[in-house]
Order: sequence, then C-alpha cells, then structure tokens
Amino acid sequence: MAIITTQNLSKIYNPDTIPVHALRDVSLEFEEGEFTTVRGPSGSGKTTLLNMIGGLDIPNEGFVEIDGTRITGMKDRELINFRLNNIGFVFQAYNLIPVFTAYENVSFIMLLQKREKSEMKERAEELLTAMGLSKKFDSRPKQLSGGEQQRVAVARALASRPKFILADEPTANLDTDSAMNLLDMMEKMNKEENVTFIFSTHDQRVIDRARRVITMVDGAIDKDERKSPPSKGESELSEQGDDSLS
Amino acid sequence: MYLKLAWRNIWRNKRRTLITVSSIMFAVVFALFLESLEKGAHDVMIENMTRFHTGYIQVQDYRFEDEPSLDNAFYYDDSFSVRVRDFELVEYTIPRIETFMLAAGAEVTRGAFVMGIDVDREDQLNNLKDRLTEGKFFEPGDGTAVISEGLASRLNLAVGDSLVLLGQGRFGMTASGLYEISGLLRHPTREMNNQLVYLSLPDAQWLLSADDHITALLVTPSRSRNIEPVAEQLRTDFKDEELAVFTWREMIPELVEALEFDRAQSRLMMGILYVVIGFGIFGTILTMTLERMREFGILLSVGMQRIKLAFVVFIETFFITILGVLAGFVLGLFPILYFHFNPIVLGGNMEELVAEWGIEPVMPTALSPEIFIWQGMMVFILTTIICFYPTIKILTLKILDASKA
Ligand SMILES: Nc1ncnc2c1ncn2[C@@H]1O[C@H](COP(=O)(O)OP(=O)(O)OP(=O)(O)O)[C@@H](O)[C@H]1O
Ligand SMILES: [Mg+2]
Repeated sequence: MAIITTQNLSKIYNPDTIPVHALRDVSLEFEEGEFTTVRGPSGSGKTTLLNMIGGLDIPNEGFVEIDGTRITGMKDRELINFRLNNIGFVFQAYNLIPVFTAYENVSFIMLLQKREKSEMKERAEELLTAMGLSKKFDSRPKQLSGGEQQRVAVARALASRPKFILADEPTANLDTDSAMNLLDMMEKMNKEENVTFIFSTHDQRVIDRARRVITMVDGAIDKDERKSPPSKGESELSEQGDDSLS
Repeated sequence: MYLKLAWRNIWRNKRRTLITVSSIMFAVVFALFLESLEKGAHDVMIENMTRFHTGYIQVQDYRFEDEPSLDNAFYYDDSFSVRVRDFELVEYTIPRIETFMLAAGAEVTRGAFVMGIDVDREDQLNNLKDRLTEGKFFEPGDGTAVISEGLASRLNLAVGDSLVLLGQGRFGMTASGLYEISGLLRHPTREMNNQLVYLSLPDAQWLLSADDHITALLVTPSRSRNIEPVAEQLRTDFKDEELAVFTWREMIPELVEALEFDRAQSRLMMGILYVVIGFGIFGTILTMTLERMREFGILLSVGMQRIKLAFVVFIETFFITILGVLAGFVLGLFPILYFHFNPIVLGGNMEELVAEWGIEPVMPTALSPEIFIWQGMMVFILTTIICFYPTIKILTLKILDASKA
C-alpha cells in the first residue's frame, strides 16, 4: 500500500482577487522506500505540493492520506503531533535552531517525542556520524558550512523515525560538492534504512540521482517517471503516467 | 532542554538583553529606593506618634473619647496595672494623666499640655530620658517639673526657675501649683515641643484632685503585630466595665488616612514608571518575536506544540525580567542599607515643613522585605502581560507565512 496518497489536490491562492492556481487536481501515490524528486520551473507548484503533503498548507479541494490517515482537515494540535511522529522536514535554508549545537538540534526532536535519554543520545550520535559530522557534535549552526547544516537537518529529520522525509530544495544554497555530498548521505539512508525521500529541486545533477522524477508545470503533474530499479543507467527513465491536464 | 533553549535565546543578542536587563534593574532600584524612603518616613512618623503620643494601645474610660475631660478619668492602682500586664503578649503598661492648663513664668502665660507620668515606665516606650537636654527628671512626688524646650523659651524659663500651673481639676476643683523646673527636653514633634509640661504621676494627680485616677493606660504588646490580638483580648475582658480600648490606628485616623493616601499616590507613580519600563521590555520582546517568526515556524512544522513554544518564550521574558529584578534588588540594597543607618537629614525649608507636620527631620529608608516582594510581584505581573503578545503570535502563527519570513 502507498504510504502517501494525494487525491485530486487543488490549491488556489487569492481566490477572491487574482486567483493563482498553485495546484491543479494532483493525484499521486508514493511507496515506501522511494527516492523521488519533484522538478519544474519556478512557480510551478513544487513547494505547494510538498507543503500539502507535509500538512503545512490546506488544499481547496482533494485530500492527503498518510499511511491510511487523512491529514486534511485535522486539528492543528493533532497535526503538529502527527508531523512530529510521521514526517521529517528539511527546508531550503536556516532550518536549525541557532542556539543549539548540532547534537542538541538532533536530540531536541526526540525530546519532543518524549523518548528515553539513552535512546536520544545513541540515535543522535549514530545519525550525525552517519552524516559525516562526528567531529561537529558541539558546533552551533553558525559554525557549520551550509552543507553541514543541511546534513544536520537531514539527521534531525531522521531522528524522529518518520515515515518519510520532505525536503524543499535542500541543495539550493549549496555549492556542487556539498550538494552531491548531501545527496550521497540521503541516498545512503534511503538504501541502508529504506527511508523514503521526496525532495524538490531545480538542479539537474540532483534530478539525475533520483529514482522517480515528477515534473510539474503550472500546478499540474506533467510527467511522472521512474528509473527501473535494478540498474543505474542514465537514460532508463520510463514513462509511468502523464497526469497532465494542461 | 527547554530551559537551555530559553536561556541561550536570551544571550543570542547580548547587547539587547543587557540593555533591557539594565533598564529593568534601574527601574527596580529607583522604585525600591523611593518606596523604602517613603515607608521609612512613614515609619518614623508613626513611631513618633505612637511612642510619644498615643502608644500602641490605650485603655480609657469609655466616655473619654467623646469628652476628654478629667471627669472621665478612671480608677487605677497597682492591681489594675498587674491585671493588664498579666495578659498574654502584653509587655508593659504606662499610666498617664493628661489635661490642658495655663502655664506661667515670671512674665508670660501660655496654654500647656500637662502630663503626669511615670518616668521609668515611659522611658521604656520612648527613651524619654534621652530627650533631656538640660537638668534631670523628677522623682515621684518631689514637686518639680520637666518642660519642653519650646515652651521654656516661650515662657522665658530655664532650669531652676519656677513654673506656675493653673487650671481645673476633677469635677471642677480649682487646680493650681508652683513647680521648680528640674529639666528641659526636646520633644520630637513641634506641636508638643511648644506646650508640654511633665509632672510625676502623683504630683499631677494631687494637683488635679484626681487621686488614684488616670486618663489613659498605654499598653505595649510584645510585638507590633500583636497589637490587634491584645486589643481584642482587652476589649473582651473589659466588656462589663466602663472602659474602652483603642489601637493607635483608631486614635489617629487622620494620620493613617494621610499616609495611605500618600502611599496610594506613590504607588500610582510607580505604576506609571512600570508602564514605561513595560514598554521597554515589550519593545525587546516584540523585535525578538518578529525576528524569530521563521524559527518559530520551523519549530512548529517539525512538531513542537504551540503551547510549549509559547512557554519557552515566556520563560525567556521571565528570565530577562528576573535578571533585571534580582540585579535591581542587589544594587538597590546598597543605598537602602546606607540610608537606613545614615538617614537623610533634611535641612532648611524642608525641615520647617516636616517639623510642621510633626515629624522628625530625618528620613531613614525602611528595610522591609514587603517592599521587595511587592516590586517583585509588579514585575512578574508585567512580564505576564507582556508575554501575551508573543503567546498570541505563536498561537495564531500560520506556519507557511512564518517560514517565508
Ligand atoms: N501564499 C501565497 N499567496 C499567493 N500566491 C502564492 C502563495 N504561495 C505560492 N503562491 C503562488 O503559487 C504558485 C506556486 O508556488 P510554489 O511556491 O509552489 O512554486 P515553486 O514551484 O515552489 O517555485 P520555486 O521553484 O520558485 O520555489 C506560484 O505562482 C506562486 O506565486
Ligand atoms: Mg519552491
């Protein structure tokens, strides 16, 4: 069964003045363990889609279900708790708590989940080490490079053992090396721990590394392509469906 | 970890925090100092009033209040004194007989307030003996008088001179007597200093044809907080006698009222001061909140409940104000301690004015935990009110708007 289902999602901003159709009738399914990127020109609705899936924005029509739970229409408090325990977020930039060290940023989320101290410590250390940050436990975000910060953000997102991780342009502020390095880490987590990733990007090199590429144009799904799982060949994109209405 | 988060957030912008903390600190120092100065002045006033004038509790004939005449004096002997002193919480008693008479020297005659007293017992209450500026106090029944300096200069009399007292005794008896002045004293309240004549209790009773009678028995409880209980006890005990019991508050209601008014006034001023400080703190919290909208948005989106976040921000504000208050307490303690032991002596005009109102021209600061508690409470309430803003902001924050900031 799909862990994420979006059904006929539509979002219209400013319906009363100058309406903007940010999403048009988007129906998608995501399976566990997928490594998906959402691409498309600026303004095509990538961020809006991820926000909908993350329960940060409310659609005008349609709904989102995560593991059979409909999050559309949930109460604020419930939704916050649901996100805490089910969804990991990585934003474009500055998404760490500036006064906490890398280690504290990662453990804080587990504190919110009321996990055991020992478990918190173990997992925070394990994740930061896996992200190649074993020497940066006590650094504050300001003392970290952009790439390191994003890796801490990924570690934090993973710390809560979410069902999937949403990352909106996680590499946008990074140079090529850092971007590739972050992708390596995400890929590793995807392969080793079967963590589901959905991220948006403009960056062709990032797109190349995804195993499923959803292309959006003008708020609608233009293409939804999957690379055939076994091989890593370049041009093995296979058309799976074209939901485009435009 | 929430506390750690709050604590570190405070020091994120050290300069701003220090400015806020020090503005709170100075306000607290200022308010503490003003308040304790005022309370100190009030305490001195009350002390002078009670110690030299009314005592803490008085027992009188029940008619005396409406008609303060010697006719309404009451029977008093040692057994009565022992009876009152044997009450729990009563430390000692002081008998007094008081009346207005004419006092005359060689040339001048003036109205005078004549008090028949037991010097040793009086001294327990107000160290009367230390008030002597010349000569010595009388022995009971030795026919001498001690008069206040102001009266002495008006009558043109000195130690060793003779004083004539003229007036009316109990039940219309003529009262007149000739007394040698054995000493002069300075009474702390100006009004009294200009008209006071002390006689020994037996001399006064003899002069006023009031053997074994007094107009008031002052009762001093073991501690000032026992005033009410003792008064209550006495009232119950005297229920079937023609005696009334008054506390100092009941005897000088005008002073009590005036002081309360004074206090209300300065509390109002302090209130205004705190509103000003409040806006200062609010400004800090406002910028802090607005600067951190994005951060708040992220915390909410990764799963921190709004109420928890609001709590952290409250703790931050609270830390800042507590820091300011504590620093203010510490810094404020120095001038308060200093001026408590070295009271401000008022000079010139101020002295005139103050003496006119019957107080000593010194203003020691009061050392009272009450003042500190009150200030602390004020600031706490202030913090809570200020925290409404970030709390409401956090509770209504739209995550998306915040993360775009
Ligand atoms: N809060 C909003 N109010 C009005 N219009 C909005 C709002 N948020 C997004 N939009 C509009 O919705 C459309 C989709 O925006 P979205 O941010 O999802 O695009 P995007 O694909 O993420 O673009 P980019 O690559 O620039 O990040 C755009 O036309 C945008 O202007
Ligand atoms: Mg976007």
